[in-house]
Amino acid sequence: MRVLVFVLAAIILALPPAHAKDTGLIFVSNEKTNNLIVLDPKTYQIVKDIKVSRRPRDMHFNADHSKLYVACGDDDVIDIIDVARLEVIGKLATGPSPETFALDERRRRLYVSNEEGSSLSIIDIDQNIIVHEVPTGAEPEGVFISDDGKTLYVTSEVGDLVHQVDAEGGHVTQDVAVGTRPRRFAATPDGKELWVTAELSGEVYIIDRGKFAVTGKIEFLPPGMRKTDVTPVGLAMTKDGKTAYVTLGHAAHVAVVDVPARKIQGYILVGKRSWGITLSRDESKLFVANGFGDDVTIIDAKTRKAIISVPVGRIPWGVVIDD
Amino acid sequence: MIEGAGLRCCEYAISIAVGLVCLASSVVAQQPRITIGYVEVAGDARYEPITAYGRMVLKSRERPFTGAQVALDEAQALSRVLKTDFALERITVKSPSEVAAAVVQARDTAGIHFFIVDAPVEAYKPLADAVKGRDVLVFNATAADDALRRNVCAAELVHTAPSLAMSMDALTQYLVSRKWSNLLVLEGPLPADTAMVKALENSVKKFGARIVARTQFKPGTDPREREKNDPALLTAGSRDYDVVFVADSAFDFVRQVPYHTVRARPVVGSIDFEPVAWHWTWEHNGAPQVNSRFEKRSGGRHMEGADWAAWIAVKMITQAALRTRSSEFEAQRKFILGEGSFDGNKGLAVSVRPWDHQLRQAVLLAAPYQVVASAPVEGFLHKTNDLDTLGDDEPETPCRLNR
Repeated sequence: MRVLVFVLAAIILALPPAHAKDTGLIFVSNEKTNNLIVLDPKTYQIVKDIKVSRRPRDMHFNADHSKLYVACGDDDVIDIIDVARLEVIGKLATGPSPETFALDERRRRLYVSNEEGSSLSIIDIDQNIIVHEVPTGAEPEGVFISDDGKTLYVTSEVGDLVHQVDAEGGHVTQDVAVGTRPRRFAATPDGKELWVTAELSGEVYIIDRGKFAVTGKIEFLPPGMRKTDVTPVGLAMTKDGKTAYVTLGHAAHVAVVDVPARKIQGYILVGKRSWGITLSRDESKLFVANGFGDDVTIIDAKTRKAIISVPVGRIPWGVVIDD
Repeated sequence: MIEGAGLRCCEYAISIAVGLVCLASSVVAQQPRITIGYVEVAGDARYEPITAYGRMVLKSRERPFTGAQVALDEAQALSRVLKTDFALERITVKSPSEVAAAVVQARDTAGIHFFIVDAPVEAYKPLADAVKGRDVLVFNATAADDALRRNVCAAELVHTAPSLAMSMDALTQYLVSRKWSNLLVLEGPLPADTAMVKALENSVKKFGARIVARTQFKPGTDPREREKNDPALLTAGSRDYDVVFVADSAFDFVRQVPYHTVRARPVVGSIDFEPVAWHWTWEHNGAPQVNSRFEKRSGGRHMEGADWAAWIAVKMITQAALRTRSSEFEAQRKFILGEGSFDGNKGLAVSVRPWDHQLRQAVLLAAPYQVVASAPVEGFLHKTNDLDTLGDDEPETPCRLNR
């Protein structure tokens, strides 16, 4: 394993971000139109269309929500957005085709999977240098960081693997084989389980984090659907660790799962190629990006019914909320 | 990217002899190794470039070895997890008739169980006879002939290339779904053209389309034969048609057909709208990443159907090692032919049909710059797996490997 210390040209403007707390604004990344759509939390009207670098996908806020980071796959950068001003204020250079990432502000690190580079880049946010390039299986995708910031988990879509990575040392410590084309993660709040979607085998795999071994799996099949249409990708879990929501991609449904029982409680109809999913902070609403519906479906989490679907632009990938 | 030590040492061996030296030298490696033989025929006419007048290259037609290499690259992380190396051994023989002996020799002297065979159709019957009952599994990555599936029907073969029947079914499904059900068929002089039309006739019957007229064309400019070589005259019949289907495996005459038809009708078959196993513009199911890895590996070439068929063969083998957690050939063979289902990056998971060992898979319907649709086309349903609406379903073939 080799360590790349690779200085990249980057521009971070020195402007301090202005402050605006808990705006409730909803941010949607559109893969095809290179923009973020910002929706009003009450009316769901579009309040802003932010032009970003090409092919924006995964998004994460910093701790105080003053900044939003957006991975832009076709320009090999992560754009930084000032949440108060709703403007791009800087960029971080990454490896080829950044897709998803995790942020650790305390350590000033950003961990990003490079879809076309078969590696995970560990980036020093302040200096914008890649401090480690961790080789992974082909097409790394989901990135998850432990609460203590010491351990990372990365999927390899082609390798059908989840890698456990030493965040500080920048190397893979263990691998575990899961279902076909593993995509994204969610962790139970007790820190014991890691859930990972397997897109092509239509399952969620449950990994015991202590043993780093698969201890269970859940297979999805909404009524009237064929197994082959069920392609789970996105995951969201409630803070009490009781309920998980899983987007089922081409099956155009979100599955609701009782986490401790590992039982499916029901399915909610959404749009096609539903991937990105996020819960509002009060966990009353769910937001789902429908990639082949060009819209976002907003779901009442209590009644488990869609309230409205809002058109946002071409191929929406993910949703985050400033709340 | 890490270069796996020894992983690729054998790739460029061009004869068994060279390959064996290479294998012997790698015995020092601690890990067990699964070697996949890649057998090709020197001077295989299917890889002569197709040129227009004045040696203008229309299609360069490359061997699909790069496809196998890409899948081997992808297996690097698996190699670490399984503590097993994967290697490709390229074996080149002088004629199709030598393929069988080369496979047997590599099995006996180098212990190779898995083979990808990239050879013309005539190589397969002797090959099937030679390996009958042996502990080998041979992937046919390039021969589409239905007879290999129906009549040769060998338990040691797996066909990762879609059969001609599958391709014609895919094309016909799409035409029927558009209600473009009336076909004018122009058939070339080569046996491959006749085979294509024969497969089309079956598909047309199966899906309720109609061939309104079937005419042989004769490439050339002889004015005395203009009824047979002029696309306008060939398409001027009184009966209307929705599309012109041209079977021209030489890719010669067919180039003159689009925009030269009497009626304004699309041309399908050997040009403009073709059923393929893979296309460089397919943008779903993670295909862009596969294309990108392939283009990097090949120095910029677009990935094609045969490349996919070689790629998936290697992937099936490496996946079998992962899923069975076994280094035993028998366990891997059973998995591939049995419960194994694999991500082919074109939608529905691919798997081997137990009755004839054809890999069930989606077929892409490609225009030059866009995949128009993927078959099975929406609405064509099957009681167990929609992929089995393409090609020979169990009751439709004389081959009964599962009985």
